[in-house]
Amino acid sequence: MMERNCTISISDPTLRDGNHAVGHQLDVEQIAAYCRAADAAGVSIVEVGHGNGLGASSLLVGEAKTPDSIALEVARKNLTKSKLGIHVIPGFATIERDLKPALGMGVDVVRVAAHCSEADICERHISFSRGQGVEVWGCLMMSHMISPVFLLEQARKMESYGAEGVVFMDSSGHFLPEDVRKRVELLVSELSIAVGFHAHNNLGLAIANSIAAAEAGATLLDGCARGFGAGAGNTQLEVLVAVLERLGYRTGIDLYKILDAGDLAEQILMQKIPSITSVSVVSGTAGVFSGFMRPVSRIAKEFDVDPRDLFFELGRCKIVAGQEDMILEVAKELALQAAKGGK
Amino acid sequence: MKVKRQERIRHDCLRILDGRDKELDPLRQSELVIVGGTGFVGTWIAEMVTALNDAYQFGIKLSLISRSTEQFSNRLPHLANREDIHLIKSDVRQLGEFPMDADWVIHAAANPDIRTHASNPLDTASVVVDGTMSVMRTAERLGRLKKLLYLSSGLVCGPQPASEMGLAESAQGAAAPDASFVYANSKRFAETICSAARAQSRVPVLVARPFSFVGPYQSLETPWAQTTFLSDALQGHAIRVLGDGQVVRSYLYGSDAAYWFLKILTAGQGGDVVNVGSPVGTSLQDLAKLVAQNFEPSPEIMFNTSPRSLGRSAQLLPDTTHAQNEYGLSAFTSLDEAIKLTAQWHLMQNSQERG
Repeated sequence: MMERNCTISISDPTLRDGNHAVGHQLDVEQIAAYCRAADAAGVSIVEVGHGNGLGASSLLVGEAKTPDSIALEVARKNLTKSKLGIHVIPGFATIERDLKPALGMGVDVVRVAAHCSEADICERHISFSRGQGVEVWGCLMMSHMISPVFLLEQARKMESYGAEGVVFMDSSGHFLPEDVRKRVELLVSELSIAVGFHAHNNLGLAIANSIAAAEAGATLLDGCARGFGAGAGNTQLEVLVAVLERLGYRTGIDLYKILDAGDLAEQILMQKIPSITSVSVVSGTAGVFSGFMRPVSRIAKEFDVDPRDLFFELGRCKIVAGQEDMILEVAKELALQAAKGGK
Repeated sequence: MKVKRQERIRHDCLRILDGRDKELDPLRQSELVIVGGTGFVGTWIAEMVTALNDAYQFGIKLSLISRSTEQFSNRLPHLANREDIHLIKSDVRQLGEFPMDADWVIHAAANPDIRTHASNPLDTASVVVDGTMSVMRTAERLGRLKKLLYLSSGLVCGPQPASEMGLAESAQGAAAPDASFVYANSKRFAETICSAARAQSRVPVLVARPFSFVGPYQSLETPWAQTTFLSDALQGHAIRVLGDGQVVRSYLYGSDAAYWFLKILTAGQGGDVVNVGSPVGTSLQDLAKLVAQNFEPSPEIMFNTSPRSLGRSAQLLPDTTHAQNEYGLSAFTSLDEAIKLTAQWHLMQNSQERG
């Protein structure tokens, strides 16, 4: 084992990103049981909520089985050492209706997220959360869509608003390790706050990309039990912890207990373990949000178009989360073209 | 309680002026204009000027030009309603109404909030650059103008070299020319505009480069270490220190800063550049402790809330040798005292708001 003398914090969005994989249907018992397991393993942050974060439950992006208030209450009761985290996308979550009550329920970590080029919309949510004395991170989603320099400019905005760290998210599992390394090195050299990375596994690179991030100076990595998350899933947490341990990083996580948490998650949370399907590969290659896997598959079937064609077309349209209605439009267009004799 | 807070401010001003009032004699019976006059610096200078008028019969007429005169009137009626203070609502870039009999002008218009710089870099540049151009064009037409002091920024010379104890006025560094440093680079170009106005139109302009300040009237919503720590403590939260707390900064108290600016304005020579700040550095770790000891119960201090050492900008201190040797200026209020006075002022404000 190498001795790196570095600590990596692990944030576990199994109960948030994983909600995408089950149509946001995680229930109270599932939340309670997984929180206990992650807490026992020593996970730094356990993120809970609708896949699109606080206040997102809706017809458009899916109604959650467990309302935010109940999910947070249950998680809070079952987390003793781990911090309770929430994912907050301004627009879905408002300060008065959602954020204030959530903080009142004992949330420790607020991760305010925006599309990678729209950090400005996070100012009020970050400033407000910072003013309430909780740990605040900024998250830049779909970060493959902008250049490293543009990403740095957006990260600097989040730093100026009061974020204590910035996580850039490979929401469509598009990055190669070199892409990640370049971005982390730039952010680490230019920011005064911590840098984190959130991977998706569309191209089978979630672990490799997460390790590239750590080697380049990231100090927070996201990972989900069995990779439970949108699309092809996230970085598989148990594997990440084991690899980090082999590389000599400290995570504060008990390997056996995180393996137990993974087993438990497989038993009680998942309808099926995330896998890299053909469509996932296309989604990752096209650079389309992994959370679109289910609606794309459904709509492609409905319009009798190839979901791979649909993903590539969505990639060309640079569609981002929150534009779910466009999937329908693009599928309709493809179906029309097919009817006219085009592809 | 409000009166008590005003008395505190007046006491701070008189404490600084005691034995130094004669240094500001050139201001007697004159007209002073502060462009961007309702922010932290403008408000403290207004407090100092009214102390000079009330306690030493200086007879200064003060005009404060700002976009935010209504807020100033609501917040500080004890200043806004005085006969010797005249509020003019105007954007620095369009100075339609300007007291043409001004003897002295201080140009302090800019928004130092880093959130605004990040979100609105073009507006930030415009206020600083177009605003300074506008002030210089106006100054060309002022027949009685004795001196114009431009408030630049300690950031114009870029980061402090690790080998230096403080950043001197002559430092040759500069920030990178990208949007992230738009404020520093705009301020730097504004200094060039000042120099051009002096060269072309003989505008008697000199430059002060402010570093960090602390004191009443500083908004606790601004994301600086001193304001964030005070805000955390006032709300009963733990004080959250980014990184390991080893970053070093210095803080000059509001009344000290106001005196410094007036002294440099009246005694300085056109073309001079003077750092304004305290040369006494303190780590954020020690600053957090200083803040905490002014509250009961003393708040917890949390380090490494961002798990990184902040080596890149570890120290930024002004070298104030020039201010000391040429103007006899030093930090009159110790940091301990500055933090104590500021914390007490905010505590008084909080109890006033609670009723």
